[in-house]
Amino acid sequence: MTKPGKFIMTSLSNCRSSPHAMRKLVFSFFSIGLSVPLGVGLCAADDWQQFRGPGALGASVSSKLPEQFDGETLKNVAWKTSIPGRSVGGAIVIGDQVITTTGDGMDQRRIRLLSYDTKTGKQRWEQQLVARGRPYCHPTSANAAPTPASDGERVVAFFSSNDLACVDLQGNLVWYRSLATDFPKAGNDVGMSSSPVIVDGVVIVQVECQGDSFAIGINIVDGTTAWLMDRPRKANWSSPTLVKMPSGKSGVILQSSEDLVAVSPSDGKAMWKMEMGCSTTPSAVADGNRLIVPSGGLTVLDLSSAGAPSQLWKENKLNPNACSPVVANDKVYVVNRTVLVCGDAFTGKVLWQLRIPDAKQIWSSPVIAGDRLYLFSMEGACFVVDISGEEGKIVETNQLGDEVLGSPAVVGNAMYVRGATSLWKIASE
Amino acid sequence: MDIKLSWGRSVMNGALLASLVLGTPTRLLADTNAEKLGTLRTIRPNNDTDVKTASSVVKQLSESSDVGLIDVLKSMKGASPLGKNWLLGLANSLHRKSPESKNDSLRAFLMDASQDSEARYTVFRWLTDNDAELKAKMLDGMLQDSSPELRFEAVAKVLNSSENLETGVLQSLLDASRQPEQVVAIIGRLGKQGVTVNQSKHFGFLDTWNLIGPFDNVGSKSFDKEYAVESDYAAGKSLSGGYDGKSGAVQWVSETTADPEGVVDLAKVFNNEKGCIVYGVATVELPADIDCEIRVGCINAQKVWVNGKLVIANEVYHTGMQIDQYVAPVKLRAGTNQILIKVCQNEQKEAWAQRYVFQARLCDSTGKAISTK
Repeated sequence: MTKPGKFIMTSLSNCRSSPHAMRKLVFSFFSIGLSVPLGVGLCAADDWQQFRGPGALGASVSSKLPEQFDGETLKNVAWKTSIPGRSVGGAIVIGDQVITTTGDGMDQRRIRLLSYDTKTGKQRWEQQLVARGRPYCHPTSANAAPTPASDGERVVAFFSSNDLACVDLQGNLVWYRSLATDFPKAGNDVGMSSSPVIVDGVVIVQVECQGDSFAIGINIVDGTTAWLMDRPRKANWSSPTLVKMPSGKSGVILQSSEDLVAVSPSDGKAMWKMEMGCSTTPSAVADGNRLIVPSGGLTVLDLSSAGAPSQLWKENKLNPNACSPVVANDKVYVVNRTVLVCGDAFTGKVLWQLRIPDAKQIWSSPVIAGDRLYLFSMEGACFVVDISGEEGKIVETNQLGDEVLGSPAVVGNAMYVRGATSLWKIASE
Repeated sequence: MDIKLSWGRSVMNGALLASLVLGTPTRLLADTNAEKLGTLRTIRPNNDTDVKTASSVVKQLSESSDVGLIDVLKSMKGASPLGKNWLLGLANSLHRKSPESKNDSLRAFLMDASQDSEARYTVFRWLTDNDAELKAKMLDGMLQDSSPELRFEAVAKVLNSSENLETGVLQSLLDASRQPEQVVAIIGRLGKQGVTVNQSKHFGFLDTWNLIGPFDNVGSKSFDKEYAVESDYAAGKSLSGGYDGKSGAVQWVSETTADPEGVVDLAKVFNNEKGCIVYGVATVELPADIDCEIRVGCINAQKVWVNGKLVIANEVYHTGMQIDQYVAPVKLRAGTNQILIKVCQNEQKEAWAQRYVFQARLCDSTGKAISTK
């Protein structure tokens, strides 16, 4: 086992960019479906309230989804609705609303939050604003790249242009912040994509680039700044991850190519910080007391004790290059380009590998429903993998006919897939 | 109910105006709303007090039964960019309450070109998002609309209507279009019909530069270092002489790019030098003073000065480049104007990090090239 990174208790500081970090740009246009926050606020247990849903796992083990569906014949497609513009983020589900974002119009400057009825797919409401930051990004990405988040009463949407809007569940604007106006040098014209999280009444947004880099806590009630923390001035697309600290209090994990830091969401103070190089696209996943960090493959830390977390294991063969890890039933799954790799969550031992045929690029973090793993390629093929046995096995390949880069939401026995230009509900007929 | 206030005047004068002219309780209530709209219009950046106030105000107004949707839209005219978004959010909430009831008023607002362009485009979307026929009909008259978004939609509608548009139609689209990708597409279509358009000139790219370098930027440490070129430029001295460069004396060289997007390839001119800085000077002669914009695209860290004033600075390497990436309003004067650009290259070795390029153009606020001598 590798020793954990050097633990320091000092406050965060700015860092200069290194040429090495830029290598990530080729592969890391955005962090599609990366971090997985814990359930917070008034969200119901079966809501999918933020990026990769409740429990920080990207999994709904009690759900049963159809193995077969088809975007052309609409087999097991409960509904599909076209959405103007483009999005590469995921949708969230709050009660009977599925909520997503888009950027459309000239240069994707019109930023929109949209709510649809989970039963019918009909639009419930819309809120639209105008991007005040630069909306530019690589053609693969979109201004609407981050996944929105909700505390069960409000929805917060963040965009690559660093516009941040909060609406209530009827779509009424609660507050708006232009972080590009507040921090004029924040931005990355390849595209930003870190998804916000909400905990203890605070919205946490991580903005890391070569210009103004920071994490900010914003009071969800009125949009005022609760705290601000300097972050390394290096491009980063990963998202904050929520954890429970040994004290029972909430913590927010921020990762970068230079560090891994646990932050108190209420005041932004660093509870601990480790100098370790983490991936800048896939995000950490909290599985109970284990923090699974994309770093040197995967590095798993023990959060059961106060203070510095100790390393449980590290395995470079479990190497997520774009998608975040998924954890279910004591196994961890990573996607390394077009290979799905399963490891033992306790030891890191690689249990099996499965090549995904015909998948050119995979950005969408997979989700698990029951004993099936659903993995979308960018081209819109969904590979359904049986993960119940000693080897993974593809049991179905479904064509949606829509670009998919965001991570799906799974609620009950339905999967909501945000394609680049459509929203789909997949459920048995 | 719409506020009965004269919106030809600033809503910031609402309270005083109402107390002097109106006087009824209803009118006073309306005036209170006007004051609240005034608050939203002037939200300042990075100001928690303003954000907190705005959050409270927008909630009150969205729940109010006597605030008029049209008045909210009208109040966007002249508002700050942040204020416009607060007002737009409020307008969306109000519109959702009764989406069909004010269509005549909304149409009238849309057709009033003196109103805020973002507000007008929002109304256009409300009216036409679910009515393709109406959308097409309305766009027919909007090729020269003052709203960039409406103009973009009007051009796109015609451009996408047929692969075989007549030359005259394409030329009218080119005259109307401001969005760079759209402009390039139209010029490409004209080219297929044998009509050559000087794309660089159409955009207003500065294609001729005097360049000097390389100067040292090893370790990317010299972004803020003021080399003698900068100090001489700031002092108004002639920039015709040589300087001490990274590896000895360097002299000015003239470079005219033939790139249709005005891209100046410094890697080519300076033999793929890494860890370096190159300065470029462009001179623009104008017949009269003009307010315009300088718009720069650059894959490397850069600073730009116009007539001695620093207007753009971005210490960012290899994170994308495109036309109009960085925009700054500038005042140019009659006679000679001098633009200085400092372009920094780092030492990354990856194949995708070898570009050392920039482009710059001068245009009005809509993106139309300004006329130079």
